[in-house]
Amino acid sequence: MVVTPQFKNDLLGTIPSLRAFAVSLTQNSDKADDLVQETLVKAWDKHESFQMGTNLKAWLFTILRNEFYSQMRKRGREIQDSDGIMTERLAVHPSQHGLLDLEDFRAALEQLPEDQREAIILIGASGFSYEEAAEICNCAVGTIKSRVSRARNRLQEILKISGEADYGPDAISAQVMGSNAA
Amino acid sequence: MGQTGRYTSMTKQSTGAVGAKARRNGSKDPLGANSEIGRKLKQYYDELVSDEVPDRFAELLSQLENAEPTQKRKKA
Repeated sequence: MVVTPQFKNDLLGTIPSLRAFAVSLTQNSDKADDLVQETLVKAWDKHESFQMGTNLKAWLFTILRNEFYSQMRKRGREIQDSDGIMTERLAVHPSQHGLLDLEDFRAALEQLPEDQREAIILIGASGFSYEEAAEICNCAVGTIKSRVSRARNRLQEILKISGEADYGPDAISAQVMGSNAA
Repeated sequence: MGQTGRYTSMTKQSTGAVGAKARRNGSKDPLGANSEIGRKLKQYYDELVSDEVPDRFAELLSQLENAEPTQKRKKA
């Protein structure tokens, strides 16, 4: 079966998300783009295994993720930190004005183990449900939940955030959780 | 964790609903729009998504398209 123009267009449309996910995993934009390229080639080759009407983005994220981990295994994990462009920013200082600097956040994110980082990205940023994320990561829904929760706690720790933000419209839930003692 | 069996009813939530859920039961969605981590995460990711896509990807797909084995036309 020939790849339809529709499928090709849909692939094109997903590239920005694929690149974002790839950068989140590799922490390196060159490696991320290579990963996206591999993903597109693989997706093209096995396009027949994609079921029309199902979530193409989730399907592609799965391929990309598998590719990432198989490359990591081949390279004995050196991919993680070899020439990460952000590693020099490792030192994270608590923000002085209450709002987090994006660079600090990036550096904190980089310190997370891959499994936690990908979980919090899939759930908190890419818009996937816990079920979809579990499918992409080939694990149980409960595993995703606990990874997200650990990731979030770890980020709060690194960034010295005490809990929910104590400003904005969420003051109520902060009170409910009793996390706000100033 | 203290979740009950009712969790399954939440599974189809869209991202748009996350903020509201977080407000109603703070502990269930730790990444809602009102948490600092949740906001930063989206900011970080949105910045990556909006990054301009290099031409190489469109070119790659065109190459793949032209190399389709099922096409009658032989490669020149």
